[in-house]
Amino acid sequence: MSKQISRRDFLKLATAGAATTAVLTGCGPTSRFVDREPYRKMPEYTYNGISTYYATTCRECAAACGLVVRTMQGRAIKVEGNPNNPVNLGKTCARGQATLQGLYNPDRVENPVKQARGAQLSQETLDWNAATQIVADALTNTNPSEIAFLMGMAPDHLFDLVSDLAKAIGAPAPIRFGALGMFEARATLSKAAEDLFGSASMPFFDLENADVVVSFGANFLETWLSPVAFTRGFARMRRGNPERRGYFVQFEPRMSQTASKADAWIPLRPGTENLVALALGRLIAEAKGGAIPAAFASVDPVAAAAEADVIFETLERLAQTLTNAGRPLVIPGGAALGQSNGLATAEAVLALNALLGNFGLPGGVFISPLAPAQDAYHRPASAKEMTDFIAKMKSGGVKVLFVHGVNPLFELPKQLGFAEALAAVPQVISFATFPDETALASDYIFPDHHGLESWGYQRAVVSAKPVLSGAQPVVVPYFNTRATADVFLAAAALTGGTLAQAMPFADEVAFIQSKLTKLVGEEGFFAAPEINSFTAYFQQYGGWWTLDPSLATPSAANAIAKRFNASAAEFAGEGEFFFLPFVSPTLGEAGANKPWLQELADPTTTVMWNTWVEMNPATAHELGIENDDVIEIVSEAGSVEAPVYLYPAIRPDVIAMPFGQGHTAYGRFAAGRGVNPADVLGVHFNEAGDLAFAGMKVTVKKTGKIKVLSRLESRIGVYGEGLEKE
Amino acid sequence: MTVDLNKLHAVGAIAEEAEGKWGMVIDMDLCTGCQACVAACAMENNIPYVEEVDAGYGRSMHWIRTERFWEGEYPEVKMSAYQPMLCQQCGKAPCEPVCPAFATVHSQAEQINLQVYNRCVGTRYCANNCPYQVRSFNWRDYQDSRVRPEITILANQFNPDVTVRRRGVMEKCTFCIQRIHKAQDKAKSEGREVEDGEFTTACAQACPANAITFGRIDHPESLVAQLARSPRAAHHLEELGTLPRVTYLKEG
Repeated sequence: MSKQISRRDFLKLATAGAATTAVLTGCGPTSRFVDREPYRKMPEYTYNGISTYYATTCRECAAACGLVVRTMQGRAIKVEGNPNNPVNLGKTCARGQATLQGLYNPDRVENPVKQARGAQLSQETLDWNAATQIVADALTNTNPSEIAFLMGMAPDHLFDLVSDLAKAIGAPAPIRFGALGMFEARATLSKAAEDLFGSASMPFFDLENADVVVSFGANFLETWLSPVAFTRGFARMRRGNPERRGYFVQFEPRMSQTASKADAWIPLRPGTENLVALALGRLIAEAKGGAIPAAFASVDPVAAAAEADVIFETLERLAQTLTNAGRPLVIPGGAALGQSNGLATAEAVLALNALLGNFGLPGGVFISPLAPAQDAYHRPASAKEMTDFIAKMKSGGVKVLFVHGVNPLFELPKQLGFAEALAAVPQVISFATFPDETALASDYIFPDHHGLESWGYQRAVVSAKPVLSGAQPVVVPYFNTRATADVFLAAAALTGGTLAQAMPFADEVAFIQSKLTKLVGEEGFFAAPEINSFTAYFQQYGGWWTLDPSLATPSAANAIAKRFNASAAEFAGEGEFFFLPFVSPTLGEAGANKPWLQELADPTTTVMWNTWVEMNPATAHELGIENDDVIEIVSEAGSVEAPVYLYPAIRPDVIAMPFGQGHTAYGRFAAGRGVNPADVLGVHFNEAGDLAFAGMKVTVKKTGKIKVLSRLESRIGVYGEGLEKE
Repeated sequence: MTVDLNKLHAVGAIAEEAEGKWGMVIDMDLCTGCQACVAACAMENNIPYVEEVDAGYGRSMHWIRTERFWEGEYPEVKMSAYQPMLCQQCGKAPCEPVCPAFATVHSQAEQINLQVYNRCVGTRYCANNCPYQVRSFNWRDYQDSRVRPEITILANQFNPDVTVRRRGVMEKCTFCIQRIHKAQDKAKSEGREVEDGEFTTACAQACPANAITFGRIDHPESLVAQLARSPRAAHHLEELGTLPRVTYLKEG
């Protein structure tokens, strides 16, 4: 009987209550997918012209936004936000919308292949039994300490499974990395929270309820941590209260998309953010009267303003605004932390918040709660930890490397030497969905499903309410792919013995259920008395979250008593320009293979389909550089060539470049397009081990070549172009 | 109930028969330029991408785009608010009278500008006459798998409610008319009126900042009509007398 139960009946019955659950436990994996059927044989749950909707989780970044996907006759048609999920409340970003072009991408890995580190995607396909056997052999025939797992920032359920697996065989815990985490400087943020609050968790910034917001480099409207949640928070900060309009100031050397929404954009000299934060603190402390806290005692605001190239009166006015504000909030992030003094900046900004007295108050700073059923916060690896891992690979300490959900060959600075390290690993097995650079450099690719074909869950990292966002397949897998979790579980079963005992799950769904058991009976968005009805609700609503926020209040006492490093950042290299890489707001780290993301105009420059270098027009004219002139950017680590976009809102001593393009593989839309700024990044870290990616100085050289950038904006009249010259 | 259409800036011949009028309000103070609306529109309406070279020639097919303008020079440089620009569904539309094929016509039922793809012969007069530059032309067969092999698989995602256009056809924002009709059909079958906020356009649905609001602008109590009465409200190129259905809310 269980074989005939369709998914629709399953949900119907399961939601009916516990009485029916005895029937449902017999459901096999086959009934867990929606079949894509020809029209002549319509599945009973589809009707002509009527759509079916499935709740799942977006995998374009790790923010855990809930989706509701409209499907029709087994095809995914449109992505919408899940209105119930507290992270995004029914909204999506552009990358979430375009996830369908990843699902139906012409360049996916369609079968398991023996890649043998070829330049092109191998045509030598394997069957899944052989693939599973290869994984099982790798797990059994290798010394456990020489097995390594390299995972992406999503999905969390697979990270949990691999963590359990690694523990069971005695291998080192899996390493997690993503370029977004690197450019967000997550390690710096959590280290600052550890130093000041005593817990290495993510600080939570209550943007929504603040009335004056000052951001030091945090590009929270673009890609930072949870951009959809922050954009909603920003909108409510701006216009949520009819009595007043929120005021927003951004310190940043270049006007980013986030800074372009600020009431005041203050272009300070890169690397002086900590000085400005401390100077603001000193001015506020003086205005408030009483003793100056130790944190701000040593800084001279006039000298700090001069060093930061900011008008002192501007700082004075801002200090006054912050002092008088009912709910002031200061946010550190992005390139401000990607400096040699990034940790000092993050701590100085948290101390500034402490001085403003906003800890634990609406519109202030909190400590993010752990997600449901999470025991501790695991931040992704910092660049320093990746360097140690690469050193281990290079020295022959890794014999088998499993890679899922991350593309380090593209995302890490070339100078870190991941390519050479990969060559030193005898066996590399990739689970990539797309033929990216790292997948092509592997021995085998055992492709995972696309996120919309997958089971799973993802934890929200910055959310007032603890959120576990659930994922389920919205369509049957389009290609001959297999869930990586299922491959590992099948391989574990093949090995027999202790590993099979440690991982006794029939499939991925059984594993996920085992993790959800902790939540059965808990009060939340829904409550269910036992696991099968819990799972059914979990799928129906797209996850589980508490009804009330559970933010913790950090203690302010330590934060302002500490003395911080009050010197500006050090820069590597000799050039005349500060080099500022930033994550493309439209492409993110992995959007380059989706044609509609390429076709989206960059919000500030309107450039499509390529990489550009932003340069101040005055500087460019001094150097004889015009729009579309290709320049060579030379750093201590290497050089790249890219066309110039004369950007009116960037400091004359800074050039900026988006990260996201410059793939050598990753499908027809991405490969051979643009350049990768990671190729010129040197390897320097801040005190928290994050990459000082904005801590470089570079020289530029005109090449004499011209590459016309495709822009959505009209060129006519831009700096006199297209107009009659006198 | 009587509606003072003059307050909605909807004066003129069309305003007299404005029953069923759909409209949109875009809050430029909230728009962050994030492009979610552009991507959502493309996914909903089967809009083709044109790739780098054609995009460089200005042939990209966005039905909605975010505009921004620069004022001044560094360090006194300012960026204007992001201004999402889409078909303004003019009450007196400059595109309509110039079409020799009657392919761009005014809908009496929804009070929007229709584009009848199978009438369009590609003169592009309408695009040349549009003061908002929101019409896009299919210069090639972008959605034909014989021209672009990858369409074979990408087409799985196509919205079956929306026609796929061929070469030589003009297209533009339809206010997601397929969604309007779907909601109206549903309401009709249930014997009721369409409720405010029951459905919305793809762009408004995606917008993370909630900057876009869509609804019946002729119902004074609807959210969109309330917002359109804001003191911040303005219309684009109002002086041309086009009677746009899209209201913009300024910063400040």
